[in-house]
Amino acid sequence: MLKLFETETLALSELTEKQTAIHVKDFSVWLNNNAVLNKISMRIPKNKITAMIGQSGCGKSTLLSSFNRMNELNQKYAYEGEVLLHGRNIYNKKENVAKLRTQVGMVFQRPNPFPMSIYENVCFGLRIQGETERRMLDDIVEKSLRNAALWDEVKDRLFDSALLLSGGQQQRLVIARALALNPEVLLLDEPTSALDPLTTLHIEELISQLKKSCTVVIVTHNMQQAARVSDYAVFLHQGELIEYSDSDSLFTMPSKKQTEDYITGRYG
Amino acid sequence: MLKLSAIEKQRISSFSSGLSAAILLIVLFSLVLFITWKGASYFWPTQVFKVTTNAQLADDSSVFVPSSVDLDEYNQALTTKLTIQFLNSNTPMPQVIAQKVDDVYQINLLSGATKYGHFQKIKTPNSERYQIAELNDVMADVVTFQVELDDIQNNHLTLLHRKIAQLNLTGVSEDAPARQRELTQFTYWQQKADRIRQTIDTYQLVFIDASEQDFAVLAKDINHLFQPNSMSFFDKVSYSGKKVLAFVSESPKQASTSGGVFPALFGTVIMVLMMAVIVAPFGAMAAIYLHEYAPNNMTTSIIRICVSNMAGVPSVVYGVFGLGFFVYTLGGSIDSLLFSDALPSPTFGTPGLFWAALTMALLTLPVVIVSTEEGLRRVPEGLRAGSYALGATKIETIWKTVLPVASPGIMTGVILAIARAAGEVAPLILVGAVKFAPSLPIDSEFPFLHLERQFMHLGVFIYDGAFHNQTNTQGSSMMFASCMLLLLIVFILNLFAIIVRNKLRARYIRI
Repeated sequence: MLKLFETETLALSELTEKQTAIHVKDFSVWLNNNAVLNKISMRIPKNKITAMIGQSGCGKSTLLSSFNRMNELNQKYAYEGEVLLHGRNIYNKKENVAKLRTQVGMVFQRPNPFPMSIYENVCFGLRIQGETERRMLDDIVEKSLRNAALWDEVKDRLFDSALLLSGGQQQRLVIARALALNPEVLLLDEPTSALDPLTTLHIEELISQLKKSCTVVIVTHNMQQAARVSDYAVFLHQGELIEYSDSDSLFTMPSKKQTEDYITGRYG
Repeated sequence: MLKLSAIEKQRISSFSSGLSAAILLIVLFSLVLFITWKGASYFWPTQVFKVTTNAQLADDSSVFVPSSVDLDEYNQALTTKLTIQFLNSNTPMPQVIAQKVDDVYQINLLSGATKYGHFQKIKTPNSERYQIAELNDVMADVVTFQVELDDIQNNHLTLLHRKIAQLNLTGVSEDAPARQRELTQFTYWQQKADRIRQTIDTYQLVFIDASEQDFAVLAKDINHLFQPNSMSFFDKVSYSGKKVLAFVSESPKQASTSGGVFPALFGTVIMVLMMAVIVAPFGAMAAIYLHEYAPNNMTTSIIRICVSNMAGVPSVVYGVFGLGFFVYTLGGSIDSLLFSDALPSPTFGTPGLFWAALTMALLTLPVVIVSTEEGLRRVPEGLRAGSYALGATKIETIWKTVLPVASPGIMTGVILAIARAAGEVAPLILVGAVKFAPSLPIDSEFPFLHLERQFMHLGVFIYDGAFHNQTNTQGSSMMFASCMLLLLIVFILNLFAIIVRNKLRARYIRI
């Protein structure tokens, strides 16, 4: 599919420090003493959508959750190297991990709304930050739900349980919940794999809108989806970064044989 | 070997499991039915028979006896009993016959005692009346006198007594005119009160008992008077209703053979509630530590096994621990630290409500821990991850997302704990429940809730009732009635907790 409205495509090699949202430097990860990522180095451009592809177990989800340090919730976790968020190493010892996660939002494969009202779901992060002013909360809830293209569907039942929403609505609610914190980066871990095709389309449209306000990194198993929504794409295989370039070139003329095999479906 | 086809095997397994379930249900139903029947019959008015004997040994040749069975059955039972009694005896078997007498009265006294007799007359200070219908007028007179007596007691005697005590305190001499005046007043009112008391005592009802002897009952002692053998069905229903009310609102009388069980009811509920308040947060916190914080290793599994095993420790062991540790050690230390003036008489160093609640909390702790952990295990990982991803710390995640979703599990634990604590007897006897407590653990005196007081408990009350004289049908029936009440309380407390749990479930768990 052509990207008609694409304005510019920066060459990754010419990316300056200012245009980089996340800079991964020789980053390796071991989970339960197994090497999962091996010396990954990449720069993820600001306000763009970067897709991560690769077969299951290749380490793309691990890499994604390294960006907001969610990996640490696993009990046996070891790493080496650096991840810079706008120039700051998020693996430094003084890093406030809770604060980091408000700057780097994350959406998971299965929609996981909290068993509260829609309103309270969106407010959750703000309340944790100590925001109590009703007016402010109202404004942010409306803005986030509008940005997540959910406002029109739920504006009359903001105080109903979020569990009553459909799967696609729940996933958009979860995105709205992350947007409410105004994150710099939004990580999406297979956000549409549990949804039907029409809802998937809905979410994809939403993702393309999101890059106006933040940098989006998306993990997906769906090649068409990666080609449709992303500006850049990275192919991982067994913990190694195989190829990383703008999506047009990666999906139309991949430079590595492995990449070609994968995207044409010869393995994986 | 018997060869069975697959279908036959399936039939046998479904039949046998169905059979066990049916047996279980039958046992459960018959238990509840039996207790309810026996308990309810305590409230139903009994018939009165005149039992006459020609035995030389008997004190009275005939007596009035209440019975819940009909006349033929009663006579048959009597004969059987006597035959067995005189089977190997040299003395000839006496003749004993029960008869139904219509106009006999049952007199329930305020003290809880019951008397039977034919009505003869009402005695008042200046007349004798032979119509029972006039009883109401006479009782009205008695009440008038009693009101007057109370008035003198409260408005004159108490005040004067206080004034004299004041004079004593300020050291006014014995023959001071002020004191003389008060004393004269005091004597005047006291004499007046005595006169009224004597007048009240002259109001009497005279009855004739089964052996034609007459006996008098003071009108002021009478609680209720009726003819049990000529009651209509509606009379019986209304009598039972009144008795039920009295049962749940009055104190026990006549060494717990009549009256009500209110103190035991109250003690049970307050002890169970206190236990729930103690055990719920402790159990939940322990479960949270085990499930959320403790590393997944040997030590944690050993702790988990120990917790489950704690549920199997005999309850009397907890009672002994409560007595040895809570009452003697902890209570003793509290006494020597805070209530040293009152020593050697102990304040907290003696069995009491708080120690009982604490012991029961300890006893039910494993149940709460296990079911809370079960609840925590059911919280989806996605919820935790979602909360962390929004910048929540561990404690915020647990408090705001995990605990609400696990709350039905906590409630399940509390339900089981309540059912267990309400029915326990053995540990309670050791740590604070008594046969008879002179005062409730809550009253209008500061600090209102008296944690150190001993209390009454329905389970202990039933246990005690079982040791009463078996021939006293009233006493043993009261035990059944208390048993029914205990069942009802456990049922109500559980129902309440189940409603709360279902509300929580509907709110926090995907429908």
